[in-house]
Amino acid sequence: MRSLANRIHPGTWWLVGGTLALVAGSSSNLIAPIAICLLAVILILSFRENATWARSLSFYLALAGIVILIRVIFRILFSYSNPDSAIAILLPRLQINFGFGAFEFLGSVSWQSMYGALIDGARLAAIILAVATATTLANPRKLLKSAPGALYEIATSVSVAINLAPQLIESFNRVRRARQLRGKSKRTSRLAGIVIPVLEDTLDRSLLLAASMDARGFGRRGMQSPVQLLTARLLGLCAIVLTLIGIFLLLSGFSAYLTLAAITIGIIFGALSMRLTSLRLIRTNLTTQARSSIDYAIMILLLVLLIANFVGWLR
Amino acid sequence: MIQLKNFTFNYGKTETPALNRVNINIQAGDFVLVCGGTGSGKSTLLKAIVGLAPHFTGGTVAGQRFLADNDVTNAMPHETAEQIGYVNQQPEGSFVAETVMEELAFTLEQLGVPVPEMLQRIEKAIIATGLNDLRDRRLTELSGGQQQRVAIAAALSAGQKVLVLDEPTSALDPEAAHELLEFIHNLCRREQLTAIVAEHRIERLIDLVDQVLVVSNDGTVAQGKPAEQLARFTFVPPLIKLGQMQGWDPLALSIAEAREMISTPVHFRKIVYPHVQPQNIQLTKLSVKYGDLIALDDIDFGAASGEVVAIMGENGSGKTSLLWKLRNEIANTAMVPQQAADLLFLNSLSQEFADSDEVAGVAQNRTATLFEEFVGRIDGSSHPRDLSSGQQLALVLAIQLAKNSQTVLLDEPTRGLDYSAKQQVAEAIRQLATKGKTVVFASHDVEFVALTADRVVQLHKGKVLSDLPVSQALSHKGKLPTQVSQIFEIDGLIALEQLVLDA
Repeated sequence: MRSLANRIHPGTWWLVGGTLALVAGSSSNLIAPIAICLLAVILILSFRENATWARSLSFYLALAGIVILIRVIFRILFSYSNPDSAIAILLPRLQINFGFGAFEFLGSVSWQSMYGALIDGARLAAIILAVATATTLANPRKLLKSAPGALYEIATSVSVAINLAPQLIESFNRVRRARQLRGKSKRTSRLAGIVIPVLEDTLDRSLLLAASMDARGFGRRGMQSPVQLLTARLLGLCAIVLTLIGIFLLLSGFSAYLTLAAITIGIIFGALSMRLTSLRLIRTNLTTQARSSIDYAIMILLLVLLIANFVGWLR
Repeated sequence: MIQLKNFTFNYGKTETPALNRVNINIQAGDFVLVCGGTGSGKSTLLKAIVGLAPHFTGGTVAGQRFLADNDVTNAMPHETAEQIGYVNQQPEGSFVAETVMEELAFTLEQLGVPVPEMLQRIEKAIIATGLNDLRDRRLTELSGGQQQRVAIAAALSAGQKVLVLDEPTSALDPEAAHELLEFIHNLCRREQLTAIVAEHRIERLIDLVDQVLVVSNDGTVAQGKPAEQLARFTFVPPLIKLGQMQGWDPLALSIAEAREMISTPVHFRKIVYPHVQPQNIQLTKLSVKYGDLIALDDIDFGAASGEVVAIMGENGSGKTSLLWKLRNEIANTAMVPQQAADLLFLNSLSQEFADSDEVAGVAQNRTATLFEEFVGRIDGSSHPRDLSSGQQLALVLAIQLAKNSQTVLLDEPTRGLDYSAKQQVAEAIRQLATKGKTVVFASHDVEFVALTADRVVQLHKGKVLSDLPVSQALSHKGKLPTQVSQIFEIDGLIALEQLVLDA
């Protein structure tokens, strides 16, 4: 299973997560959310890697459970049951007067309203687990590697920062032990005695790393004509302005067609600008992961699922 | 290939520049050794050659830097990265990737090398550095020596014309170091690579290099042939020092050469192993576990008052674990950990002294006096982070000794120190022993152990491999011979200090 997981593009996992969340969000019965929850857990358990970012399943499961529980408890507390339906729990109805009107809670809870609460909760839980699938299965480093060339510097900084985090914990532990060796100081607080060396250590390390990366050619750019550069920048600016106009139109509800046009053109301009800026990079990449046939197979399955969902087979 | 003309570099804080009117000219295909005392500016010279100084260090520059006859005085390092490769002192701090393979590809990716050629070059570098079994491993799982090999392989695979290496073999055992330097030497011969290497352990490469640059404390740099340069140089290994003492001309640059030069008979003082009583430390069944990993496996350890015990063994054999275990088991111990500077957090030397006196509850100036005994007087307002690594070590040692502990533990006390600084640390440790303290230290450095220890405990995978008096442990018959034992091959003779020269 692991070798298969390695061949799946991290972007595909995000597509899987997104689609499952979408389907879960639009479902109106209990079966679809439960099926999605089960599917997500099975996927995570069989494909996850042994890494820090992949060990969060229990956290997501707990979160999903809490969401369902809160949903049901709130429904019991503030029940506005339809008097016609069968009563599930009969609780005394309480009234509290805050001065501006009576506030009622508890009281009889119908089966129907309990069922509704359960569906709502399950829907949210399914969305949470769908996102969990993406975050635990898509290796963040690999995902960053497939970022477009224009974002390369930012992507590298992020992935270097991910690498630095465990080092920071290690140096924190080291300094804390060293601090114990030295004994209690009256001149600085316990915190300063640990934070100062750790910060100094981190700064030294970052400078060292920056120097080493530069000496290894990081930040090199190929030649690009001023015209190209200017075009890329203008396109980028236009993209931002058009998108802003689009959002404004969307919120003001002025015209649906105009909104759609502004946002679409904005996105196209943005993509073009990105493409142009990426052209001037002279870098090659050893481990870029191309989408393979498995990825396309998964995408087709997802598409079928989406169509089925919106046609209404799943509802 | 590389030329510095009237090159002066100043970090800006001091009145004396770090590099003072340096004129060097290095030919293509030369293998160059850079040597100098601790804090003399070896690393600064290398950074200046790469262009990291001043761009990543701050400071001011005068003079010119040429690379293949082009003036690159103001070029940023990434602009010359195609031609110069650089590996700094702490490879573990300069890794950018997660796995070995990704790390090796990084420079090649930056330089835009096509993937098929990239794979070929990486393959070559992997074979040269013996990393074949490690290619898919995570960098954080590797030992210090393996990390150093990865950093060098990354520089080799990039295939630049000039390679600048700062202490490339500090974490390698002698055999691995020799193989690596031999490989670089061959690249210089066959492919006209220009290699510039800073190294404390001169003996590891002195017989391979074409040129030697000596960096003095005043920032001047002298360039010349190995034998003539080293005849005047003070921070030298026992092999060279023997030649200097005997006035050999030219100097012997390898053990084999020295063997032919020595005259017999040799007179020397025997090292008497002191069976001092009473026992200060007496511990049995020491074990340390980290998860599944057994760092220390049920060992017994004892030491007497006034005794100095060296703990030796390869990386991961349990040296550091044993020291920390001792520190936790024994009351009233002073410990200096591997990164001694972690213990320093105040803003000036005098504040550190005062704090140490208060914490230890001793008379004022006790710490300062101890510190001065080791390294002499230093301005009290200087920042502890600005001290050289030798001075920082001395400061931490003084702080820890102010508590007047009966047992002193040191973890790798000579990392990054030159031969004369090592001598000072050795003297300080011997002084402690004469005052009746027990000193236990971990070290890789056989020459330092020969100067310091009474007894050597050798660990292997958490168990005691051998426990012998120093003269036996470091003899020419054992696995850890000093240079002197290898040259003379006489039982009981391990250090130059034992030699009695006929006037």
